Amino acid sequence: MSWNFEQIANTLEQEAAQIADEKQLEELRVKYLGKKGLIAEMYASLPALSAEDKPLVGKNANALRQKVTQLIEEKKNTFKEKLKQEKKTQMDVSLPGVGQAIGHKHLLIQTIDEICSLFEKMGFSVEDGPEIETEFNNFTALNIPIDHPSRDAFDTFYLDTPDPQNKGRYLLLRSHTSPGQIRIMKKYKPPLAVVIPGKVYRPDAVDASHSFMFHQIEGLLVDSCVQFSDLRGLLNTFCKRLFGENIKMRLRPHFFPFTEPSAEVDISCYICGGKGCSVCGRKGWLEIMGCGIVNPKVFEAVGYPKGKYTGLAFGLGVERIAMLKYGINDIRIFFENDVRFLEQF
Amino acid sequence: MKISLNWLKDYISFGISPQELAHRLTMAGLEVEKISLSDQDTVFELEITPNRPDCLNILGIARETGAILNKKWDHPKVKKLSFPREKCDIQILDKKGCSCYIGTVIKNVTITQAQEKIRKYLEAIGTRSINNVVDITNFCLMEMGQPLHAFDYDKLVGGKIIVRRALKGEKIVTIDDVERTLDEDILVIADEKRPVAIAGIMGGKGTEVTDKTKNILLESAYFDPILIRRSCRKLGLMSDSSYRFERGVDLKTVEEGADRAISLILESAKGTIVFRNKLSLSKQKINPSISLSLETINCYLGSELTAVQCKQILERLDFKVVLSSKSILRITPPHFRRDILREVDVIEEIARVYGYDKIKETIPQIKMSAAAVDSKREWRNVLSETLRAQGLNQVITYTMVNRKSLQKSGQEDLEGIKIQNPLTQDQELMRPSLLPSLLNITVSNLNHGQKDLKFFELGKIYTPAGEQETLGIIMTGSSNVDWRVPKRGIDFYDLKGAVEKSLEKLGVGEFTVAAIEKSFLEGGQSVCFQKDGRILGVLGKVHEEVLSRWDIKQDIFFAQLDLETIYLHAKKPARYNPPVEYPIITRDVSLAVKEEITFVQVEELARQLGQGLLSFVKFKEQYLGEKIPAGHRGLIFSLVYQSPQRTLRDEEVNSIHEVICKAFIEKLGAIKR
Repeated sequence: MSWNFEQIANTLEQEAAQIADEKQLEELRVKYLGKKGLIAEMYASLPALSAEDKPLVGKNANALRQKVTQLIEEKKNTFKEKLKQEKKTQMDVSLPGVGQAIGHKHLLIQTIDEICSLFEKMGFSVEDGPEIETEFNNFTALNIPIDHPSRDAFDTFYLDTPDPQNKGRYLLLRSHTSPGQIRIMKKYKPPLAVVIPGKVYRPDAVDASHSFMFHQIEGLLVDSCVQFSDLRGLLNTFCKRLFGENIKMRLRPHFFPFTEPSAEVDISCYICGGKGCSVCGRKGWLEIMGCGIVNPKVFEAVGYPKGKYTGLAFGLGVERIAMLKYGINDIRIFFENDVRFLEQF
Repeated sequence: MKISLNWLKDYISFGISPQELAHRLTMAGLEVEKISLSDQDTVFELEITPNRPDCLNILGIARETGAILNKKWDHPKVKKLSFPREKCDIQILDKKGCSCYIGTVIKNVTITQAQEKIRKYLEAIGTRSINNVVDITNFCLMEMGQPLHAFDYDKLVGGKIIVRRALKGEKIVTIDDVERTLDEDILVIADEKRPVAIAGIMGGKGTEVTDKTKNILLESAYFDPILIRRSCRKLGLMSDSSYRFERGVDLKTVEEGADRAISLILESAKGTIVFRNKLSLSKQKINPSISLSLETINCYLGSELTAVQCKQILERLDFKVVLSSKSILRITPPHFRRDILREVDVIEEIARVYGYDKIKETIPQIKMSAAAVDSKREWRNVLSETLRAQGLNQVITYTMVNRKSLQKSGQEDLEGIKIQNPLTQDQELMRPSLLPSLLNITVSNLNHGQKDLKFFELGKIYTPAGEQETLGIIMTGSSNVDWRVPKRGIDFYDLKGAVEKSLEKLGVGEFTVAAIEKSFLEGGQSVCFQKDGRILGVLGKVHEEVLSRWDIKQDIFFAQLDLETIYLHAKKPARYNPPVEYPIITRDVSLAVKEEITFVQVEELARQLGQGLLSFVKFKEQYLGEKIPAGHRGLIFSLVYQSPQRTLRDEEVNSIHEVICKAFIEKLGAIKR
C-alpha cells in the first residue's frame, strides 16, 4: 500500500481552498477524478493488492471520491453565486426608466371638462354654439336693448360681415355664451337642461386679469316649475362638488337683463376660509359666476307660450375658476402655452 | 359711486357698524366694493347696477337703507319758494332730446366759499370744491340725483338759452380747458351766438361761474338718455351728470332738484330770483300698476312669505300696495322706479330685500333633455386622446391675428374675417389659418429654451364661409425620450404618422395622400390628405422663408386638418373582426427603384397580383448608398401572405411571390437585389 490517505485528504483540502476559477477547478477534477487520475489509479491497483489491503484501499478510495465530488460541487456553487453577485452589481438600477412621452390636455379644457361633467352627472347635456353671432341672439333676445347702459358690461367686437337677417347691422363675436341659450330654446322645447361651453370675446385691454378672448360656460334649465330655491340648491351642490364640501356659497343680488331675479354667486375664499386675504381682496368671498331666474322676456323672444315655462340660467368664467383653483395669477399664462405650464397639469 | 356716511346720517340714523351696513347693502344688491376712512368720515364705494338710476344719489341710498333695516328716513326740508312771473328766454329746438328745461335767473349773488359742511361732504367723495354756487349744484346732484348747471348769466349772449343740435364743426372749450369739435349728433345748450355747454355732459369755459360772477342762470333739465350716451361715446367724455342722464333721471326731480339748489344758493350767495322759465314738453309717465298673487310670488321663489311681509317690504321701498282678501297685491311702483314694469320685477324687489339667503334650497327635478348628444364633442375627445397618447400637448391660442403675421407665414392670400373695432393691430382679423397662431407660441417657447415641441390645437379658423372647426399640429426638435438610443430629429414621417393615427382612430377609412404645392410649405415635403375628392387637410415642412421671417432656426412641421369634413367621415368600429388563425408566410423583398416610383405604387402592384392571399405589405427600410444605381433608391419590405380559410402551402405562395417580383422588375423597372 503506497498511499497515505490522510495526507492525500489534507492536500486535497489545501488545493481546493486555493482554487480561484473554473479552470483550476477543472484541473483539480482531472487530477483526482480523471480517467488517469489518482482515484482511477487506486481502483486500478485493487486486483494486485492483498486480501487484507484490498478493502482498506477500496474504502478509502470511495471516501476520497465522495469528498472530491462534494468539494467540486461546493466550489461550483460558490462560483455561480459569485457570478450572480457580479452580474447584479453591473446594472445601475438607479438610471431613469424609459417611458413614452404623454401629451397634456390644456388646463382650460380640463376645467371645462370637469365642470361640464359635474353638470352632466346632474342630468344636463353639453351643447355647442357658434362664436360668430347676430345682435339678436347676443343682445336683443336677451333683453339687452341697443344704446342701453346695460350693454356697457358687454362691449363687443363687430365683424365686417353684414347680418343677412338684419339690414344695416353686422355680425359680431359673442360677448358671452348666453346667445347659446337662445339657439337651444329656438331649436328645442322644454324640458331643457344644457350647459354650453365656449370662447367669448370682449374688447378689453390685456392685463393680468383681462383678456379679449376667454371661455365661459352657460347653463340653462327650463321646465314648467323651476324656482329660485332650485337655483340655490343646484348651484350650492355644484360649488361644493367643484371646490369641496367645506365651501360656503351665497347669492348676492345683482342685475342681468336676461334674468330676474338675478344674482352673483360668491363662494367663501378657500385660501383664507372667509377671513379675508389678498386673493379675495379682504372680502372673504370670491365671485365666481352670475345666475338668475330666466326673464320671461327671453321666453317671449324665442317664441315660447306666455307663462308656460320657468327656468334658471347661470354663466361662469372658466379662466377665473381655473385661476382660483390652481393659483394662477395671470390670465395670459393660459394663452402663452409655455410647455413648462402645459406639462404641469 | 362714492357716498359719505356722515352725509347719509343727515337723512337716516342706523345703529350698526359701517362694516355691517356695507354687508347689508351688498346683500340687497347695492354692492359696497370698498370701504375707506377719510377725516372722521367713512366712504363707501358702491357698484350701482344700470337698472337702478334711482340709487345714484344719497337719498336713494337712504331709502334703500331704510327698507333693508326697516327704519324711517327723512327727506331734506326744502323751503317753499315764490317765483316772479317774468320769464327768461329759453327755446327748445330739439324736443326729443330735451323734454324738460327749467331756467332760473338769480341776480346779485355773492360768490364765496361754500359752507364747510358741503365742502367736507364733497371732498369726502372726491369732488373738488370750487365756489358756493358750483358746490351747491354738485351737492344737489349727489343728494337728489338731478344734474344741474349754473351759467354766468351776463356771459350768455342775448341772455338766451337755446337747446339745439350742434352744427358740424362747431367748437366749444369745456370747463376742463379742452377744445372739442362737435357735430349734428350732439345736443348743446347755446346762446344767440355759440354753444355754451354740451347738454347733459359738461359746461363751457366761457360761461362758467367765477369769483366775478354777479348774476347766474341755473339749469335743471331732462335730456334723452340715448342721445347723451351716444354723445359721450363720440366725444370720449363722461361726467357725473352724463352718467346719470344716460341712465335716466327722474322727471319729477328736475323741478325738485332746481328748487333745492335755489334755496341753498339764496341762503349762501343771497341774491334775488328775477326770471323763472319752466318748459315741460312731456308729462311724467305713470308707472303701470301690477297685480300679483302671493301664490305666484312663493311659487316663483320657492319661498313661504306671507302677503303682509311682501306688502311691508314693498311699502318700505315707497311702493303703494293694496292687499285684497284673496292675497292679491295690487302694486303701484313709485315714479322713480322706471325699472318696475312686470310681476317678476316686483318679485325680485321682495326677494332681495327679504334676503336671497333666507330662501330655502331645493334640489331641482331635472328631466331628460330634448337636446341631442353632441357627436362632434365625442370625436373631439377621440382626437385629443389619440394625439396626447402620442406625446402632443394641447394648446389654446388667440383666434385673432394681424395681417402681418399672415404675410410672415406665407398665407397673405387667405382672407379671414375683418374686425371692425379692434383694440390693437393684433386683433385685426379672425384667423383664416392656425399656422400664424401656432408659430407664435412656437417662437415664444423656443425663446424660453424649449426646443423639442409637439403641439396640437382643436380650434377654429374663420373664413368668409364662417367658422370651421380645425385641428392644427406643430412638431419640431428631436423626438426621442429614450436615452438608450441616439437622439433623432423630428421629421415629416413623425407628423404624417400622428395624422394617420388620428384619422384611423376616427374611423375615417381609406384616404389618399398626394403631393401639393403651398406657399408656406417646402416643395417635395408637403402633401394633402383626400377622401372622396374632398381635402381633409394638408401637412408638411414649413417653408424656409417662413421660418426665416419668424426668426426660427430649426425645422418645423405643420399640419392643418379640416375637422368639419373629417367628422362627416368619422365612424365608430362597426363589427368585431375575428383574427385569422391560419399561419402567415413572410417573404422579404429588396429592390432598387427609380426615385420617382413611390412606395404606394409598389404596394398597389403587389396587391393587384396577390390573388387575395397577400394579407399586407410591411415597409421596413429605405436606403441610399454606393451600391444603389444613380437615380434609384433601395426599398426593403415584406410581403405577408395569409388566407382566412386555410393553411397556405409554400409552393402556392412561391408562385404568387414570383409573379409579383417579376412585375416589380417588368412594370416598375425595379432592380432586384
